[in-house]
Amino acid sequence: MSDAPLAVSARDLRRDYAMGDAPVHALQGVSLDVAAGDYAAIVGPSGCGKSTLLNLLGAIDRPTAGSVRIQGKPVESLSDREATRFRLLHIGFVFQRFYLMPALSAAENVELPMAEAGLSRAQRRARARELLRYVGLEARADHRPTQLSGGEQQRVAIARALANRPALLLCDEPTGELDAHTGAEIIALFERLNAGGTTIVVVTHDEELAAAARRVVHVKDGRILSDTRVR
Amino acid sequence: MGDRLVIRATPTGPADTVIVGAVVRASADPSEVARDEYRVLVHLDQLQSLIGYGDRVDRFAVATRDRAATGRAMAAINDAAFGFQAHRSRDIAVETSQTFLVVSRFHHAIGVITIVASAVFLLCIMLLKVDERRRDVAALRLMGISAATVLRSVVLEAAMVAVAGSALGVGLGAAISAAVNAHYRGVYRTPLAFSIVTPEVVGFSVALSLVLGVAAGFLAARRLTRVPPLALFGR
Ligand SMILES: Nc1ncnc2c1ncn2[C@@H]1O[C@H](COP(=O)(O)OP(=O)(O)OP(=O)(O)O)[C@@H](O)[C@H]1O
Ligand SMILES: [Mg+2]
Repeated sequence: MSDAPLAVSARDLRRDYAMGDAPVHALQGVSLDVAAGDYAAIVGPSGCGKSTLLNLLGAIDRPTAGSVRIQGKPVESLSDREATRFRLLHIGFVFQRFYLMPALSAAENVELPMAEAGLSRAQRRARARELLRYVGLEARADHRPTQLSGGEQQRVAIARALANRPALLLCDEPTGELDAHTGAEIIALFERLNAGGTTIVVVTHDEELAAAARRVVHVKDGRILSDTRVR
Repeated sequence: MGDRLVIRATPTGPADTVIVGAVVRASADPSEVARDEYRVLVHLDQLQSLIGYGDRVDRFAVATRDRAATGRAMAAINDAAFGFQAHRSRDIAVETSQTFLVVSRFHHAIGVITIVASAVFLLCIMLLKVDERRRDVAALRLMGISAATVLRSVVLEAAMVAVAGSALGVGLGAAISAAVNAHYRGVYRTPLAFSIVTPEVVGFSVALSLVLGVAAGFLAARRLTRVPPLALFGR
């Protein structure tokens, strides 16, 4: 794993939130390399800076200091517009809530990022079908989000995150809204994805999910406490 | 037709028996509407013997060839015929239409107030509806959907709602207009149109709602796309 190219590399990341006289130092010097094909879980107490770190790894937010390279490309220098395009094409996001568009079917939700990327209708259709089959929801392709259970919605959201074949899948509490059983389905799906070569970084409080990762990164008070390879 | 009627000018006056020769439809004249009376046309000599008067003229009309002739005829009549006053037919028409003009202006005012009030209402609804979706919009933008795409789709949706709404409104207007006409034509026994939906009215209302809808959608969407998505996403 050590000689694989890096999917993402963070150096001395700091992130302060200006809160009047007392700024919050959410990250206080974090360095983290994630190799292509790796599967890392970021864990730690609430408010320790996990989401802040994930947002920086995904070019959603800018660090106060330090640098982030995604697939070797420094992303701090990107304009907002460039960063948006970069995220579309290179990073998949999965959030705690699913954020599926209620007026669109499961397949149309999966097609959305591909439409933005400029894929033809036929390509989008075919890929959406393939992705929904992969997450086990081929039969539900024409269903609206409200007709799907929470676990099914999250699987659609994961299919959508994979639409443009991202180099990196970033997930913030993906099982946070699910019960243990449906959570286990998502965990199994991530393992299958990673076995197929997808690089995954997941922030979680879910011990089952963290235990499924190859690597567990402990964060506390804006610093990395430990970084353990599990398998 | 063909019925025999006995007619009198007053309940005790001299009578005459006539045969109905023709029934004339009420003409489509606004000034005749709501005058609930019957008109009987009889020959002049018959009329004179019925009412016991000799010749008597209340008004007469003069057709003229052009404007100048009208002026000359008016001057001649006003000089020659004591007790008569000549008016141009257009002046009389304007005079008798005063009430209609006032009512029409009143209708316009009601229309403008309705449109302004509903535009404000529409904008508020639009802002609320779009704001309700701010986390969805934030998530989309975090995933890499551009602000322009978000803006475009909100505006498109607003335009579609506006078109659907104005189609519904035009349909409703046409139906109500037909009902109003059917009702009052029955009440006043006249072929007059009491309410009309003209192509101009339809065009104006569709265009107005489209402009208002798109503007409201644009303003609402821009409020969202101006904020950085992470701030919109909230905590
Ligand atoms: N936009 C913001 N403005 C001010 N402070 C913030 C902001 N975002 C995060 N913080 C602060 O930064 C710190 C880290 O927040 P972060 O969301 O990264 O924590 P977390 O580890 O993800 O917590 P949780 O497990 O509860 O999601 C917290 O103290 C939080 O209050
Ligand atoms: Mg968090």
